[in-house]
Amino acid sequence: MLGAKTILETRSLTRELGAQVKTRILRGIDLTVPRGQFVALAGASGSGKSTLLNLLGALDRPTSGEVRIDGVELGGLDDDERARLRGERLGFVFQFHFLIGELSVLENVAVPLWRRGVPRAEGERRAREVLAKLGLAALEARTPGQLSGGQQQRVSIARALAGRPRVLLADEPTGNLDSANSQIVMETFEQLVRDDGLTVVMVTHEPSFARRADRCVRLADGQIVEDTLRK
Amino acid sequence: MRTVIFLALRQLWARKVLSGIAMGAVSLGVLVLIAMSGVMLGFRGKFLSNMLKVSPQVTLYDKELLREPPILQRGEPLLVATESAHEVPTDRVSRIKRPTEIIHAVEAMEGVIAAAPVVSGSAVISYGSKELPVEVRGIEAARQERVTPLGPYLIAGRMQTFQASTDGVLLGSGVAARIGAKLGDTVRVGSPKGEPRVLKVVGLFEAGIPPVDNARIYVPLRLGQQIVGRPDAVGRIEVRLADSERAPAIAARVETLSGYDAESWQETNANFLSLFKMQDKITGFVIGSILLVGGFGILAIQIMIVLSKTRDISILRSVGFTRRDILVLFLAQGGLVALMGGAIGDVLGWLAARGLSHVQVKMETFVKAESFVIDDKPEVYLLGLVFALLVGVLASMLPARRAARVEPVDVLRGQIG
Repeated sequence: MLGAKTILETRSLTRELGAQVKTRILRGIDLTVPRGQFVALAGASGSGKSTLLNLLGALDRPTSGEVRIDGVELGGLDDDERARLRGERLGFVFQFHFLIGELSVLENVAVPLWRRGVPRAEGERRAREVLAKLGLAALEARTPGQLSGGQQQRVSIARALAGRPRVLLADEPTGNLDSANSQIVMETFEQLVRDDGLTVVMVTHEPSFARRADRCVRLADGQIVEDTLRK
Repeated sequence: MRTVIFLALRQLWARKVLSGIAMGAVSLGVLVLIAMSGVMLGFRGKFLSNMLKVSPQVTLYDKELLREPPILQRGEPLLVATESAHEVPTDRVSRIKRPTEIIHAVEAMEGVIAAAPVVSGSAVISYGSKELPVEVRGIEAARQERVTPLGPYLIAGRMQTFQASTDGVLLGSGVAARIGAKLGDTVRVGSPKGEPRVLKVVGLFEAGIPPVDNARIYVPLRLGQQIVGRPDAVGRIEVRLADSERAPAIAARVETLSGYDAESWQETNANFLSLFKMQDKITGFVIGSILLVGGFGILAIQIMIVLSKTRDISILRSVGFTRRDILVLFLAQGGLVALMGGAIGDVLGWLAARGLSHVQVKMETFVKAESFVIDDKPEVYLLGLVFALLVGVLASMLPARRAARVEPVDVLRGQIG
């Protein structure tokens, strides 16, 4: 059983890739993340941190082992149930913003809400609220192509937050940003954890950013080699 | 679903030119469908309506289906020679026996409006020095008016004059024009087997069917029998029905009732009807080919969009869109392009049909017409939209399925290592 405060849990999680020659990316990961914790997943390239994040985000299926999100074991869910779970409980931020070029900033943020059946006006209201919180209110009518890299990434954070997720999963969110914009993104995450009690799991290469998290889990060769609680 | 349609519209709008090209191809297909169907159905409709007005829906011929056995054979069927191996010359005139009884019996049948006796044969009409081979038809004018009314087609003279006369003749407009005869003129009509008669032109008719107008004349029944050399003979009985589509069934019942060969108008005009069927196939092939081109256009564009939108598909999947949502998104795009193309094609088709109906043409083959006859059936416009939608959705099926199969993690892994 998950503890009352546990939001994410993996047990003996393994992931192999390749059909003929199998490469083991993750080797028996056991990880428990309590609600409201800011976790940094660190490690060298190919250590398995992005794969672990994708498994935590129900974007990928493990070769063996279990993943539980907010008490729900993902192994028993079909594709559509996983999609619904992602839409309702998780938020994603990637290294690339992945905004939809044909939509305005406001629409990009509101689309996941509309998909969940939130009425149009209510979706727009909630999207505006999040944009305002991230200092992007003035940009709502622009298209992604009219924004700077930092603004685009903040819009993608707004999109992830608009659905009021329980967990925010971020894969190298600052990887494509300059240091000023990276600082803004990091401060945003810290503020969300501090003020809203959001759980954040962030993959990062950058040691200084990893140090700002409550906890740093370091991976090497698909295994957890270090799990440091800082706060 | 509304969100998916919203996204589909946005993506289409972002590719206005490509979407416009695919839409144009579909529009062209629907335009051709409407214009060609309008002309074909118009021509067919005019031909059939004219034909049905001047031709009976069921015709009973003087061909007996089951002849009664000779008297001697009725008693001793095996011992009496009843057939000769060589051809026996005979002067017996083929005819329908007891025509009046048959007419009354047929008229009493459900679905029959009227029946009339007719005799017909080949003859030559001459006026002055001009001669023309014609088909002479002897009719009982009053009865015939209830079966295949000639009155509405008279362009000169009156039906009452013809009914009252004993030596009057009605000439097809083409016959009159070819021999130069006019109302009130006297013409001579004769055939090799019958008695030549001098007749007065009491009327000219124009049915709008050149094969009829250019070759047929009508005379009173008795006069016709004399001209074609079949005294007192009725060569056929023509029948008018309440519903022309029931002709084959009623023809079968008339055959059983009378013992004579009966033919429905569909059987009589089988050649024309098979021609129309072939026309339908050719039209279908042409329209199908154009719509197929439109479909390939949609297919190509959709594949291109799916390939270039893999990242967007992945992100939509990661924020909660299901595979079905993605499938619907791309099917909706193809469907919308096709539907809009279909609607534009409908409007252009309607305009083309209006334009064609004003084009001057001189048709004098099966149907006489001064311009294209257009049959503007609303069903054809609906059919255009349905076909277009079908083409769009089918063409999008492959790319949509491909899009729905996109695994977000594959794309995200590829992008972010």
